[in-house]
Amino acid sequence: MNMNTETVANSKELDEKKMKKIDFKMVTFTLAGKDYGIDIMKVREIHKAEKFTFVPNSSPFVRGVYNMRGDIISVIDLRVFFNLPVEKNEKRYENMIILRLEDNTIGVLVDTIEKVIGIDSSRKQPPHPLFGDINIKYIESIVENDDSLYIILEAEKIFSSETITESRTPEKAIPAASAVEEIVFDANAIRTEDNSKALNIGFIEETLPTYAGFYPTALNRDWVIDRFDSWEKQRGSDNTQLDNKEDADAYLRGFNSPFTGELWGDEYISALTSMLPEKSGNVFVWNPGCSRGYESYSIAAVLKSKNPEILLKIQGNDNDLINISSAPGLMIEKGRVPSFYDSFLVSSEKGTQFNEVIKDSLIFEYHDLNNDTSLPPLDFVVCRDTLSYMNEAVQLKVLEKIYESMKPGGLLMLGINEKPSNGSNWELIENNGLKLYKKK
Amino acid sequence: MRVEYINPFVEAAFNILKEVLQTEVNREELYLKKSTQPVMGVAAIVGLAGDVEGRVLIDMSKETAMKVASTMNGEELNTIDELVKATITELANMITAQAVTKLHELGFKFDLTPPAIMTGDNMQVSDLNVEALIVPLGLPQGKIEINVAIKERVGA
Repeated sequence: MNMNTETVANSKELDEKKMKKIDFKMVTFTLAGKDYGIDIMKVREIHKAEKFTFVPNSSPFVRGVYNMRGDIISVIDLRVFFNLPVEKNEKRYENMIILRLEDNTIGVLVDTIEKVIGIDSSRKQPPHPLFGDINIKYIESIVENDDSLYIILEAEKIFSSETITESRTPEKAIPAASAVEEIVFDANAIRTEDNSKALNIGFIEETLPTYAGFYPTALNRDWVIDRFDSWEKQRGSDNTQLDNKEDADAYLRGFNSPFTGELWGDEYISALTSMLPEKSGNVFVWNPGCSRGYESYSIAAVLKSKNPEILLKIQGNDNDLINISSAPGLMIEKGRVPSFYDSFLVSSEKGTQFNEVIKDSLIFEYHDLNNDTSLPPLDFVVCRDTLSYMNEAVQLKVLEKIYESMKPGGLLMLGINEKPSNGSNWELIENNGLKLYKKK
Repeated sequence: MRVEYINPFVEAAFNILKEVLQTEVNREELYLKKSTQPVMGVAAIVGLAGDVEGRVLIDMSKETAMKVASTMNGEELNTIDELVKATITELANMITAQAVTKLHELGFKFDLTPPAIMTGDNMQVSDLNVEALIVPLGLPQGKIEINVAIKERVGA
């Protein structure tokens, strides 16, 4: 008996100790049956709401805008955002948490809103990489309370794209979802137009990955479809199938951007130079798929001649060990390259190479885009005819990675016949046939 | 993985193993692996810090470790005991040190941590956002994989 009271007293004491240490409060809610939390300091209020005003041409997870006592706020469906199943809502009202971010107020729709829980912030644990449902970067930490595990979401991260661009409607698309839609749409459009042509193109699209390692997706499908007509003319209408690697390579002829595997020419340089913004300070460029490095050297020369004062770092990546290994010591045949490069070249008895200014700005890395990497904030990404040779999942992952790492207003250059699958995130700038995509 | 780093590690591993084991070492093709990778059974790990960050892992099966240690010590060793562990640790130290010396000559500076050894079954090593360069080396004693995961300090 005595002992019992003692234990009770003890546990009470313990509880009190725990209570004292509460220094983090969170609002908890559920999404698809799982518990989540969000820092209460970010929550302005809880609202039951209906009748959202639909915003045309917005991302699928944007439910619309809502008039909250005169303030217009955008409303995001968190379940769609995280690709979780949306339960059919019988009730008319939906549960909405109004979040107050730095200079933005946003409503998020969730399944149910539970309660406010206070915890000791030292009990928060870092997210584990294996959490499936939600991309790990949105998770701040995990905490256990009363035998339930709560995933604490990082509100700022989720809506970071809006706070940066200060746009009213969130435009950060879910790449997977939007890409799938685009594909379906394209295929349908052709099918109604000409069934057999669509079928033939379909066969070609299926065989290109096998023979050429080329993956037709929203990134390059426009070109693949356009190419079919000239291919049909060339081969005859009953001989359009690709039977081997040579056929596939022949079909892809003309896909590659100008100046693949050589230094860029004058016209290309002047078109690009006029499109680049004036820069100062640190400039980071990522050049995946740089092969033997001609592309990276060209970019370095273009940027350095436009703004000689910048502190330039270009990271060239390739997964071909032989090619990338020869990049740092690339030899140039003087006289056979445009005179534009002359001021950046030095000759020694070994031959002509780029000078220290250019070389010091380049880092060549042996890297496979299938694997993760960490990138500094980027000003410019040049990724020509590289993603088309990656499967769709990798294409989307890399594009997402680029978007994420890009500074606001940063520029993306893809192959001449490629366009970003997450198109709504980018603003197209065109000059002389050259296309750059600016981060919105 | 910066290309300048690759050769020093390949050469160091090749030279050291050839020298200490007095045997032919067979270079196999290099490749890249995701950051999470299984470990074969015995792994010596050396950390790098400085201009670059990361680690070098010398990975082999228990049988290979015992055979390599036996050859290096000139006696038959049949269990993973202190001597085997110390020998493999020393091997890791020699390989990494020679690679770092070569890199230093090229103008890259960084420090090493003393090697630590891990043994066990079904182990994995994870290092988010760094892919590993695998240098597989074939020996009469078995296969040794030198596993190099280093990256430039971001923003440095």
